[in-house]
Amino acid sequence: MNYLFHILVMIGIYVILTQSLNLVMGYTGLLSVCHAAFYGIGAYASTLLMTGWGVNFFVALPVAVIVSVLLSFVVSIPSLRLKGDYFVLATLGFQAIIFGIMYNWVSFTRGPYGIPGIPIPTLFGFAFDSPASYTLLSLGLAALVVTFIYLITSSQFGRVLRAIREDEIATQALGRNTVLFKTTAFALGAGIAAIAGSLYAGYVRYIDPTSFTVAESLFLVTILAIGGSGNIQGPVVGTIILVLLPEVLRFLRIPDTIAPNIRMMLYALALILVVIYRPRGIAGEYGFE
Amino acid sequence: MLLQLLANGLCAGALYAIVALGFGLIYRTTGVFHFAHGAVYTVAAYLLYLFGATMGVPTIGAVVIALIGAAVAGVLSEVVVYRPIARRISSPLATLIGSFGIYLFTVNAIALIFGNETKVLRPGVDITFSFGPIVLTRFQLLAFLAFVAVFVGFLLFKRTQLGRLLLAFADNPMLVEVLGWNTSTIRIGVFAAGSILAGIAASLSALDVGMDPYVGMSALLMSAVAVIVGGVKVFEGAIVGGILLGIVQSLVVWRLSARWMDVFTFIILVLFLLLRPEGLLGKAVRLEEAR
Repeated sequence: MNYLFHILVMIGIYVILTQSLNLVMGYTGLLSVCHAAFYGIGAYASTLLMTGWGVNFFVALPVAVIVSVLLSFVVSIPSLRLKGDYFVLATLGFQAIIFGIMYNWVSFTRGPYGIPGIPIPTLFGFAFDSPASYTLLSLGLAALVVTFIYLITSSQFGRVLRAIREDEIATQALGRNTVLFKTTAFALGAGIAAIAGSLYAGYVRYIDPTSFTVAESLFLVTILAIGGSGNIQGPVVGTIILVLLPEVLRFLRIPDTIAPNIRMMLYALALILVVIYRPRGIAGEYGFE
Repeated sequence: MLLQLLANGLCAGALYAIVALGFGLIYRTTGVFHFAHGAVYTVAAYLLYLFGATMGVPTIGAVVIALIGAAVAGVLSEVVVYRPIARRISSPLATLIGSFGIYLFTVNAIALIFGNETKVLRPGVDITFSFGPIVLTRFQLLAFLAFVAVFVGFLLFKRTQLGRLLLAFADNPMLVEVLGWNTSTIRIGVFAAGSILAGIAASLSALDVGMDPYVGMSALLMSAVAVIVGGVKVFEGAIVGGILLGIVQSLVVWRLSARWMDVFTFIILVLFLLLRPEGLLGKAVRLEEAR
């Protein structure tokens, strides 16, 4: 039963991550490969607040979101004026810089040693210390995020984002400040990713930089490419499939030493097949066409 | 001391320049942001290990096999992945996602077969040569010589009929097709040539410091940064960018530590994207001329 709860917690965290990337990649059409950096920024910001100053989880979480949003401007303000591949490369650069800082600034982040002993989140005296209660927290936050994304993307704001995705110059010609819209979408995506980061930190209670690498960013892009993006259901479908796949492999009794590689190969193969034969993913609306 | 650092940087930069020239060649002519160039690099290194170290093929022979293997890997990614994507969809970002797929698949397959740990081809310390105040190892010297050979070869190639065809293809593939050339053959040729360049650098680096399955990623990132720094529009940009990166990194190692090398490299990238996206050798163009 606890095993099932664990999977549900992870699905909650990854739904938050992929939905936030969906806002950037699926709705706005910006391929960002630094989403794991914001995930990490969220995890580190709330962890440092909780362990360093004894701040409560539910206070640390919004602060982490704000930190992540502010840092998102560091990427978006210079690079959102860039097009296509250049934007991807700029986000890749940011990802590498953030990872480098997490890994090398030992006096601040403890670097490769990671930060242990992250306190359990408590709300008005209720501790989320059982698997069942954490599942509730994770899926609850995920539901909030999905609702929020659904609301903003079905509003006028969301329509402008989709218009930018389809034809940025035409959108500009219609009098929209597209850079402002893209910056906002990117900042919202970064902020929401920080929620997932805090949730992850409070759950595993030990973080180190290896959870927030370029490979993790590529994994998030993979989930969206396979599940689909540009609507609400695509990322959820992708997340459920890709989070469950390793568990299926576990039942096939593939040795632990090679399981991660086999898993990544399957993901990669699925990614290639999807891009060639079904660019919109399993349930998505947009596929860089 | 400073001279020695500059020489070290130049030799490291020579390898970056070779990989970056391959990456830039592919990017400029086909428009594919060939992320899997890193995978091609890794394939070459491991072929060298497989044939050179475990099967006892003489080093020269193993290098030749590695280069052929690299070319095959590059051509396969074009034929199996990029071409079908190009046939269906037009956005270059879809091709880039496909390229991520090739990279992830190849690197994990290699890790599965050979394991994650570092493999070394040469035990102990390398032979060194002194030039006045500068001391260079044999492989640093080889890297530099390979770079000079590639550079000269490239300059000569640019003047040939084929070289000019390539420049024309980079500017307007459709027009080259109208002139009666088979563009898919040209693309295959470009992927083979670019991959061989990656293979050369991979072999030299593998012989010197060994390899792990993730060497290709840093090689790819360095070459992408070198191409942007030097200028995408100009083939020589990759060479200038590569050498510059090597020297800057060697200075970072001197003033700070090797751990901050990547961070600095990407700060340079971001500064260039911000302030001079056309690169050192590029010229600013109007939006409608840019591709």
